[in-house]
Amino acid sequence: MSDRDPRAADGVGAGPPYEPAGRADIRQGLGWFALGVVVLVLSLKMARLADQGVPPYAAPGLLPGLLGIAMMAFGGQVALRGRRAYRRHHGGPAAGGEPQAPQLAVRRLLAVMALCVVYAVVLIGHGLPFWLASALFVSTSILLLQAPQRRAAGRRIDAKALAFAVGMGVAAGLIATLVFQTFFLVRLP
Amino acid sequence: MLGGLGDLGHAYLGILNPFSILLGLSGALTGILVGCLPGLSATLCIALLTTLTLKLDANNAILILVCSYVGTLYGGSRSAILLNIPGTAANAASCADGHSLALRGEAGRAIGIATSGAFTGVLFGVLCLATLTPVLAHVALDFGSYEFFWLALFGVTMSGRIVGDDPAKGWLMGLLGLLVAQIGQDGLYAHDRFTFGIEALSGGISLIPALIGAFGFSEILTTLSNPNLGRIIDLKDSTLPRFREVVRYWRTALRSGAVGVFTGCMPGIGEDAGAWMSYAAARMFSREREQFGKGSIDALMAAETGDMSSIPGHMIPLLALGVPGSAPSAVLMAAMIIHGIEPGPMLMIQHPQFVFDVVAMTSLAMCTILIFGLFLVRPLLYVLRVPRAVLMPIIFMLCCIGAYANASRLFDVYAMVVIGFGAFFLRRRGYQMAPFVLGLVLGGLLDKSLRRGLVLSGGSLEPFFTRPISALLALAIVLTVLLQSATFRRVLARLGRRAGTAPEP
Repeated sequence: MSDRDPRAADGVGAGPPYEPAGRADIRQGLGWFALGVVVLVLSLKMARLADQGVPPYAAPGLLPGLLGIAMMAFGGQVALRGRRAYRRHHGGPAAGGEPQAPQLAVRRLLAVMALCVVYAVVLIGHGLPFWLASALFVSTSILLLQAPQRRAAGRRIDAKALAFAVGMGVAAGLIATLVFQTFFLVRLP
Repeated sequence: MLGGLGDLGHAYLGILNPFSILLGLSGALTGILVGCLPGLSATLCIALLTTLTLKLDANNAILILVCSYVGTLYGGSRSAILLNIPGTAANAASCADGHSLALRGEAGRAIGIATSGAFTGVLFGVLCLATLTPVLAHVALDFGSYEFFWLALFGVTMSGRIVGDDPAKGWLMGLLGLLVAQIGQDGLYAHDRFTFGIEALSGGISLIPALIGAFGFSEILTTLSNPNLGRIIDLKDSTLPRFREVVRYWRTALRSGAVGVFTGCMPGIGEDAGAWMSYAAARMFSREREQFGKGSIDALMAAETGDMSSIPGHMIPLLALGVPGSAPSAVLMAAMIIHGIEPGPMLMIQHPQFVFDVVAMTSLAMCTILIFGLFLVRPLLYVLRVPRAVLMPIIFMLCCIGAYANASRLFDVYAMVVIGFGAFFLRRRGYQMAPFVLGLVLGGLLDKSLRRGLVLSGGSLEPFFTRPISALLALAIVLTVLLQSATFRRVLARLGRRAGTAPEP
């Protein structure tokens, strides 16, 4: 598909480094299996609508139940495959080494996640004008994301960097509001 | 036949006006800009533009979306050539040869070949779209619930099989998509499923917010967690399209066009499959196969023609059957439904002109990439230099607008964020999003077709396996799943050996 992660080949899509062969598959397979069990149980508990004359083969839970069974089957297959790989390599890494994922900038990632959640859940749609909420989010994000590069270059966040971030944020918020709301009549949160 | 030609002529006349051309150019330009940026996909571009075009009339809105679709895939070749990072996954096949040419100081030539290959691919695809869609739609009029059930399952199965390296993980993502599609009121009796008493879930998870989460937000997180970008190679030579190379490699262009359209017609197989299969076919027949991966013109032409011709290819099952061939075409289908056009076998009866309108739109898109390939290669490359720290927060703001705008529900923004987090962690563990999207799109059709079929047959499964097309699709699905099993492959190999060594009578 066109939207396959283009960086998968670069190892971004691979599991954590130095994990024993097959362990990730065991964990993930069991997770899928458990999800399948939950889906199957919920489907069986779903109303069959027999009092409305609905035959059992047209009950709303039919397809979800089948999906739960299929998930259990494929999840089980992934887990078994992982178990075989784990035994084959005696709990060590696969021959030739497991593909190593590049180390994530974890703190940076957590900060981005927090900012996005605050913007999407708290800032927009709760009374603050959209342009202002967006300006706050974009400015803060730019400052936060550029901070490590500035630190590495031995520079501090000065007035110029602050003005750039605030300018970008206000411009982004105002332009988006103008384009979407005024020109294209799209409602904004 | 003549009626069809008349409709086609009418469609071309309809878009040959300054306003339509301007819309087409702006759609393609947006697409190229998004495509240039590694990670931002055609799916995200079409989903965001769907929001922007909500208030436009159907034809103008779809024109912008089709042009952006073509533009994104074309734009993706720029970063593949100059950065060795494919702008979209469909351009991954162009990386090795395109970047090798760039390293040799022939970046402009590589871009020129990508432009001419893209133009030729779309042209070939447009011809197939115009001729094959009405035929397939006519055949599909005989399809019933049984065929649609298998067709929906076939799309998810093929997507899971082809996309990524692990079919089991692909199918699990397809199942997850099908499951998420079951949330909300069911299509036959309006009974709430998996809503857990949350009223907002009764309406189900909308496709656009889900897609923006899966492809937009998760991509933002991926990009920002790994911010290193490669060195951009400067352009020194001419970037003009190289049609002389198309003539020289006409066999490759024609073969790749056919392969791209064929893969496009298969539900669930994306544009990257078209590119890789064209690449493999070119390598098989090429006289310069030892040059493949080291800067071969033949290889670059094959990859770019293959992925671009698969775009019109994807529109064939989308328009004729209502089954999208790829994630971007799934968003295109959602946009058509938002604008009151229901793709599927009835389209040729309810809106026969629309199919030819899409042909004309795709032709305009093809011309726009030629225009941008001729005049705007160098200025457009500045977008590659925009820092990710500035770009990504703005993209997230657009994601929130995109998720909210269709239904004006904050719940859709929250759904986008949750799906985005899930997609980010799943992608890091090697799960692909394309089967999930196909499952999400086809879940409703699968559920309705299964239960309607069973009601019609009085609970009997027989018609699911005895009607010719149903039987064929069922066999294809079963074989696809079984061939993934090592045990089944061993049994097949043993049977093959036994048949080969059997004494002659």
